[in-house]
Amino acid sequence: MVRSTYEKRVARQLLLILSPSLLLLLAFVIYPAVYSVYLSFTNEALTGAAALNPRFVGLRNYSRLLHDAKFWNSLFVTFVFVVGSAIIGQFVLGLISAIMLRRDLAFKQLFSSIILLPNAAPEVVAGFMWISMLAGGENATLSRIVMFFGMTPTDWLQTFPLTMIIVVNTWRGIATAMILLTAGLSTIPSEVYEAARMDGANPSQIFRRITLPLMMPTILLYMLISAVSTIAVFGLVYALTRGGPGGATEVISIYIYNQSFTAFQLGYGAAVAVVALVISLILGIAYVRAMKVQV
Amino acid sequence: MNRTALVGLCAITLSAFATLAQAETIRIANHGQAGINAMKSTVARIEKKYGITVEVVEYPSPDKDYMTKLLTELGAGNAPDIFSAPTTAYVADMVAAGYLAPIGAEFKAWDGYANFYDVAKQLAVSPDGETYVMPFMLGIQEIYFRRDVLDKAGISTEQPKDWADLLARAAEIKEKTGAYGLLFPAGVSWGTGAFDEGFQHLLVGSKTPQLATEDGKLDLTGEGVKDVFGVYKELIDKDLMPTQPLLGPEPWVIPKYQMFPEGKLAATTCGSWCYIFDWGRESKNPIPDVEKVVGTWTIPGQTGGQYVLANLAAPWGVNAKAENLELAKKVLMEIGSVETQVSYAVQIGNIPASKAAAQDPEFQKLTELVPIHAAAENGVYLKQAAGFATVAEGVARATEALLRKETDAAGAQQILVDYAREILGEEAVK
Amino acid sequence: MTDFALDKPGKSRRPDLMAYATLSLISAFCAVPFFWVLLASLDGNAQLFLSWPREWTLNNYVRVFAEEDGARWVFNSLFVVGSATLLVMVLAGLGGYALSRTRAWWKQPFLYAILLIRVLPPTALVVPLYKILLTLNNIEGNLVRMVIGGDHARAIMRWIGFIDGYLGLILVLATMQLPLALWIMKTFFDGLPRDYEEAAVMDGATMLQRIRRVLIPLALPGLAAAGLFAFISAWGDFLLPLILLSSPELQTLPLGLFRAFLRVNTIDYGFLAALAFIYLMPAVIAFGFARRFLVQTFSGGVKG
Repeated sequence: MVRSTYEKRVARQLLLILSPSLLLLLAFVIYPAVYSVYLSFTNEALTGAAALNPRFVGLRNYSRLLHDAKFWNSLFVTFVFVVGSAIIGQFVLGLISAIMLRRDLAFKQLFSSIILLPNAAPEVVAGFMWISMLAGGENATLSRIVMFFGMTPTDWLQTFPLTMIIVVNTWRGIATAMILLTAGLSTIPSEVYEAARMDGANPSQIFRRITLPLMMPTILLYMLISAVSTIAVFGLVYALTRGGPGGATEVISIYIYNQSFTAFQLGYGAAVAVVALVISLILGIAYVRAMKVQV
Repeated sequence: MNRTALVGLCAITLSAFATLAQAETIRIANHGQAGINAMKSTVARIEKKYGITVEVVEYPSPDKDYMTKLLTELGAGNAPDIFSAPTTAYVADMVAAGYLAPIGAEFKAWDGYANFYDVAKQLAVSPDGETYVMPFMLGIQEIYFRRDVLDKAGISTEQPKDWADLLARAAEIKEKTGAYGLLFPAGVSWGTGAFDEGFQHLLVGSKTPQLATEDGKLDLTGEGVKDVFGVYKELIDKDLMPTQPLLGPEPWVIPKYQMFPEGKLAATTCGSWCYIFDWGRESKNPIPDVEKVVGTWTIPGQTGGQYVLANLAAPWGVNAKAENLELAKKVLMEIGSVETQVSYAVQIGNIPASKAAAQDPEFQKLTELVPIHAAAENGVYLKQAAGFATVAEGVARATEALLRKETDAAGAQQILVDYAREILGEEAVK
Repeated sequence: MTDFALDKPGKSRRPDLMAYATLSLISAFCAVPFFWVLLASLDGNAQLFLSWPREWTLNNYVRVFAEEDGARWVFNSLFVVGSATLLVMVLAGLGGYALSRTRAWWKQPFLYAILLIRVLPPTALVVPLYKILLTLNNIEGNLVRMVIGGDHARAIMRWIGFIDGYLGLILVLATMQLPLALWIMKTFFDGLPRDYEEAAVMDGATMLQRIRRVLIPLALPGLAAAGLFAFISAWGDFLLPLILLSSPELQTLPLGLFRAFLRVNTIDYGFLAALAFIYLMPAVIAFGFARRFLVQTFSGGVKG
């Protein structure tokens, strides 16, 4: 009996020392998320008559979403952005870097430091650096590079806006992919490779038959993590294009911001936000499942 | 008993503190370095005159970001006491939202009122007949052209008679000099510029010169609206205006600060400030001899006539929730004074709304602005209605579609109508 | 045939050359954008485009501090992000310990829930978050005015206000970093043997003593990792200070940078680049320290 009272006290104390974190998360994350859902059923606005007397409008915001070409456009742009930068760009370059850096190379530390560097750049700074890289005219860095190879320069953010923000986001995220995939690679026991080599497998066979299958759980996990964090990217795109030109880079987080803060339609913005929340949560739940963490 | 007395004493002390604090500080929002500089002397004057502290809060500079921040705070109820709206287009909606305190009575009773141009007074009146903003500066825009470039190529610098003449002139410039012939601001990233600095100047000279109907609704289906988009369409499709830079994040930088000074763009709409700020003595890339080299045309009407469209330039208003409304209104009148107007004219190049500015020696030194100020008497204007900010955004989207060559004039008008209906609801749009 | 296989040291030189070439290309891609900030910040006549400075100068840096409020921006950023980081370390240290040791029913739901929190897009939360902070701010403001009087209320609220005050931004920044930090600390404590604690318990130590004497010294590496990640992420945040701060006294580096970029029609690139470089440095330094934790931390999630 004494033991049990002691355990109860400890349990209470443990809950107590967790409670400040719990309180902050409830107040500043959970409650706002729930409140967003409520807002999405109103016509709340930042200006105009609806700002004075917001009304409950039921599902009107959601039915408007269905017919809103800009909303569907933003979903499509987000999809391309996520697939292009997180699933393909960061993954491929991250995997190559991870595999190469397992070799015993000179300057290994230098390479990995440089690859980690973009991850440290705050979003606004990253935005400025790339504005300089991608500006129009023959003096911009990228234009000079393509001219060196005899191609015609262009105003990159105008001509290929979505491709360019994919490139920039890829640049920023190679490090995360590299780190996660390095961790995944290190879990493959070297005996497996030796056995395969004994059997006379060539390198590409080893990669396809052994490395890839054994890495699959890590890859899946990486893709979920990077997909959700890419959906949330805001500052980088905001600094570079603000969603333009003509909505070509209006990813969903930018669209939410534009609806709420430049069209001043808080209710409608919240409805878009709820859709984004639901998509992120679905991916998030998949992520939790995939992790199969023992907690 | 003792306790009651003590509590009472505390309450009295507290309320005394509270009133003391209220009388002391007025917070005003300002944005942009030029605007902040223009207000400096006024702030000092107000502090001296009323014995208060004026706290100037700097907001983000681009109009869109400024409005985002300001409206967020107004909606939340913690905005500054006095602030400006970047363009008239925002005012009616801010009134509808209950953000602005009425100032009509104080404005009319104020001794500076009589000297204001009628057009300024009219522009300040909201759809409900009340006045909510101090219309102290006017924005007057015209077409500015490179006289030297035209002269050299043997192109007429006469005032164009109508739209067709204007477009023909732009085409001639392109043909003979290779420079772009005429720029009207367009596209989403120029913010309200597509509407304020382009669209409405053409609209007032079109077949349907107003957007607001008698009952305060919006009529965007007029033939004039389509025809105005038609002008854009022709400028864009015939490559008479530079379209690529307009799709970028700071669309004005390349055409106005690079192409125009280099003579690669020969004509553009611009405001009275352009002689000073864009290409004159305050510019970082000035055009030498700007007053001689750059001439102006007023904007012709569709079938003739000349139209000088007057706008309120950043009118100031009082927060309806200001802690000390009376004091805030007094401060607002101070902002309306001729001294402040002239200070703005010097810093930003807008036109004082008071006729009395003509006698001000400081203003007389601004030889570029004096004739424009004198002509402001004949200014025309667009009647305001709630939803103008939405119209401005709709025009921006419609012209963006034209820039991207995705639609024609009728399609652009449809984009505008659809956007306004979607945001404002069927009932507000005819 | 490209050699993608692993652990085959020194068999041939050709694959090594391939590796060097590929890594050099990727590194170039990663590094080139940084050149402009570095060179332009030292260039007396900087342009938007990358160019070798004709006249080297530190003038741009001097101007950040002499002509603008650079010192204040740096202080504000360090103070806000530093405080948020400290707060995260304390809360995540305690909370992570609780999550690691508890056997209560809420353990699993809680851990899953905070994983989900990490996926919520911040723009989706900003509007309601602002409203909540405002409500708290108004209540607090009235209290402060009642207790202290209006005279100093604004000065005090600048420190402890929820909107346009240090406290609000610190709390919100800290909250956003908490989920990851709690997970890091929970995983870290899972890996700590319980022997030490049990010995302390045997000695009759209370919870507080247990935390102070045994856990804090042991948890330092974990706390350092959690703190560094929190610092880097909070340091880069732009949306929250943009929405929450107005007063010039409270401006942080990203806001100063954003404003310098947008203030006038002709941009002063030298100044901008110097400011960007100043803003960049603490993040890079923190990243340098965090490097050795990165692999450990992220690999924690891969074991399954």
